[in-house]
Amino acid sequence: MPRDTLAELDDEALLVLYANKDPDAARLLAHRLMPRLVGYAGRLLADRAEAEDIAQETMLRLWKLAPDWRSGEAKVSTWAYRVAQNLCTDRLRLRQRRGAEALDAVAEPASDAATVVAGMIEADRMAALDAALASLPERQRSAVVLRHIEGLTNPEIAEILQIGVEAVESLTARGKRALTLALAGQRAELGYEEAE
Amino acid sequence: MMDDLDALFAQAKAKPMAPSAAVMARVLADAAAHQPQRQAWPAADARPKLGLFAQFAGFFGGAGALAGMASAAMAGLFIGYVQPSSLDLVTGAGAASASLEQVELLPDLSAFLTEE
Repeated sequence: MPRDTLAELDDEALLVLYANKDPDAARLLAHRLMPRLVGYAGRLLADRAEAEDIAQETMLRLWKLAPDWRSGEAKVSTWAYRVAQNLCTDRLRLRQRRGAEALDAVAEPASDAATVVAGMIEADRMAALDAALASLPERQRSAVVLRHIEGLTNPEIAEILQIGVEAVESLTARGKRALTLALAGQRAELGYEEAE
Repeated sequence: MMDDLDALFAQAKAKPMAPSAAVMARVLADAAAHQPQRQAWPAADARPKLGLFAQFAGFFGGAGALAGMASAAMAGLFIGYVQPSSLDLVTGAGAASASLEQVELLPDLSAFLTEE
């Protein structure tokens, strides 16, 4: 099938084409899903390399599932987020068991933010956001990232986290409050004081 | 402060993390490895290849006809070798080896013609 035609298809149609041996469908589907999966896992794990591993593993499961994909049951992207979420949860538990202090490493750029040049402010803000996100409990972090960065709807998040929609609303509200508190001490470093 | 947070979210959304070329290559390699294999369509004029026996049977009009001919040939051979006795009676009748008794159908008149 021509690539222009492929680009108009939704994820599920691409997955069906992949299962039906279309040579280009996998490339297009990977280019759609991988940035989202790497971004999501990256914010949950605060580790780029691990996030790429998780995204690759998620895609691998998708390729294996493709011939048996049941149409209409779930969106491909929602399914992929859920698999990535579960894989991230496993990684985080493994870290806890090992007593790894990976989160501390992420918090450092925020505390050093005052020393960097103005041109780096945006990067610092992102680093501060990631550090603040890392300080949230896992479920809150997942809900906030999915809602406010990945831009998913509450029902989709409920499906990914396998909880009710009301629980999602509660998680995102509490997560935002906690983020606000975590970032409150860094307003000056992040360049918000000058803006007011 | 919530506005600041929303601004941060907007920045994060606007700059998604791009996966590295290496991981994209690995993902596409996985996809190629697990994709169901592409199969060539069979040629439109392809016919099943006939075996030697099928070709031979076809020459005589099919396996059924060939079986009939084979049965007849076997029966011929069997009869030729075994020569059943009932056939001897038929084929042996009138052969030169058979001995025939001579029967006088006309009575001899010489006894009546004596003059004594």
